[in-house]
Amino acid sequence: MTLAAECEKEPGSMKRALITGVTGQDGSYLAEFLLQQGYEVYGLARQESWYRPNFASHLAGKVTILFGDVTEGVDIASAVQDAKPDEIYNLASQSRPGESWSRAAETLQVNGLAAVRLFEAVRHASPGTKIYHASSSEMFGQTTTDVQDEFTPFNPVNPYAAAKTYAHQMARIYRDSYNIYIASGILFNHESERRPLHFLTQKVAYGAACAALGIKNSPDRNERGRPIVEDGKLALGNLQVSRDWGYAPDFVRAMWLILQQEQPAEFVIGTGKSHTLRDLCEVAYQSVGRDWEKCVFSDPVLVRPLEPGNTVANPSKAKQLLGWAPSVSFEEMVGRMVRAQIHRLQHVQTEAES
Amino acid sequence: MKRALITGVTGQDGSYLAELLLSKGYEVHGIKRRTSLFNTDRIDHLYVDPHVEGRKFILHHGDLTDATSLIRIVQQVQPDEIYNLAAQSHVAVSFEEPEYTANSDALGALRILEAIRILGLEKTTRFYQASTSELYGLVQETPQRETTPFYPRSPYAVAKLYAYWITVNYRESYGMYACNGILFNHESPVRGETFVTRKITRALARIKLGLQECLYLGNMDSKRDWGHAKDYVEMQWLMLQQEQPEDFVIATGIQYSVREFVDAAAREIGMDIHWSGTGVDEKAFDAKGNCIVAVDPRYFRPAEVETLLGDASKAKQKLGWVPKITFEELVSEMMREDLKAAERDEVVRKHGFHTYQYHE
Repeated sequence: MTLAAECEKEPGSMKRALITGVTGQDGSYLAEFLLQQGYEVYGLARQESWYRPNFASHLAGKVTILFGDVTEGVDIASAVQDAKPDEIYNLASQSRPGESWSRAAETLQVNGLAAVRLFEAVRHASPGTKIYHASSSEMFGQTTTDVQDEFTPFNPVNPYAAAKTYAHQMARIYRDSYNIYIASGILFNHESERRPLHFLTQKVAYGAACAALGIKNSPDRNERGRPIVEDGKLALGNLQVSRDWGYAPDFVRAMWLILQQEQPAEFVIGTGKSHTLRDLCEVAYQSVGRDWEKCVFSDPVLVRPLEPGNTVANPSKAKQLLGWAPSVSFEEMVGRMVRAQIHRLQHVQTEAES
Repeated sequence: MKRALITGVTGQDGSYLAELLLSKGYEVHGIKRRTSLFNTDRIDHLYVDPHVEGRKFILHHGDLTDATSLIRIVQQVQPDEIYNLAAQSHVAVSFEEPEYTANSDALGALRILEAIRILGLEKTTRFYQASTSELYGLVQETPQRETTPFYPRSPYAVAKLYAYWITVNYRESYGMYACNGILFNHESPVRGETFVTRKITRALARIKLGLQECLYLGNMDSKRDWGHAKDYVEMQWLMLQQEQPEDFVIATGIQYSVREFVDAAAREIGMDIHWSGTGVDEKAFDAKGNCIVAVDPRYFRPAEVETLLGDASKAKQKLGWVPKITFEELVSEMMREDLKAAERDEVVRKHGFHTYQYHE
């Protein structure tokens, strides 16, 4: 925008967006992206998430944080009132399917009912606001089709997926029943340097970084309290599982594109390419010149009893209507994640030494 | 002696099921919410005073939205079988109270499953989840069976779909004996007064006796597969007596429209009615030319479920279950009971006492 154009722009004519889950991987990338697009960005966050180092910490001052919890309808309604947003991105989520078994009720509260609280708030307080709702490929679960698109039936196999299915169906009902703009993105796995360590891809990146730095017992620990890399080995579950892994910054661009369509719709977002966990290990360890087979083993304890099937996206609709395509390849993404972990571990080491 | 715990025991299905289980020698425990008005009409005949020793029917205060109360009751009762029938079961109301509907219908089912797991009863307590034909919503095939994909069209149906999936998930992951009964509409003389069948029989009885003038309905073309609740609770019990837990569709396999239900009910009490007009202008008149049925668009749902028709072949084959009460018998019984109630009101009024209208 030229300076002249900027001066002509009425104060308050900037588009406003509200992001729930702004402190997470997707929320923080999306906030950055929207700020670049000239949006005024509001984020809904719990105090305890915001006041602890998080992925949006560097955006303090640029993003207006509204405190609240998505399990409380009053918090959501008042955030909608305060932000008066043109667009809402509903990304807040208990984001770990595996953990959802031990946190099933909370998962439904956050991943399911919170969406309804938001839709109700918008319906009554701000009916012109567009909503993007974050749905998930986990909803396909033990699917019977080879690739999944917008018409594939859901078959959720864990409380996370069941809750996401609940919210997805409610989004459709609100769209159909009340003429509210609610669009859903059925996002396949999307990873980045900002994935927490408990996620599979980040664990592999971390393992490769340890191998590169010659770390035999890692400073970070897994869910069982053991070093993630122990005696030079990284324990994983079933190495045959395959996933469609994309790069999160590409995916937040898709979220925005979805809300720029005239009609609200559902879109499957994924790369359309599937890789096994074995492929992932190979690419990660190879990027630092290490042999993955010497560093990784499959631990039967980590094999989930009820694994979702091998899902891969058919993103034709997104490609055709949104002009969306991923810009970062699988190899490039994995390389970036490994380098980020090396950088972090070196930092930890220097700190420990000093 | 087996012990059963029924959530929603004060409801239509709960009362029929309690009756059935008591007749089979069960000790029956029921959960009821605290309400400021009595809500035990349907189980009044089963009630046993707490002072009676060895009573077989015991009520507990609890609420599906309160996990603590459920854990307490399941721990105290240590049931062999739990029937989760409690729900915010009204489709239209679910559009007004979507969060509460999810809290009781979706989270409620999860809370019971969690109570079973937390108390270490997953290998001993069997669980029945009341699923519903509303899951099919915008039907993807006709008739609907266990393998038909779901397409829910209301907050009620979506909440029930979550409960369906979580029941399947707990069965497959924890090896629990947990099943879904996907029941098509089932009615009876104790059906809630705001459900369309009961609304029709109650209104026609009152119109006949001059206690009411006109009945307002929503979509007359909606087609449903209506069975009798008394038949259906037998299958709820049967589902928990199998070797392997499985999900079953329960239906009659015959479909009628709301309009046809009105006709059948009117016929039952010798009311001669004729229809005229279409759409929102459709009306039914009695022999004297009084308009007794009209359409009120307020009763249209934001998203209509036009047609539901079930295929219960699996239940027939594996459970040996077939409905015994026909549609005509169902309508006849409902009409008879509502006429009795209206006659009672008429008598009471004649003697100068007050009766209630019971408006929604």
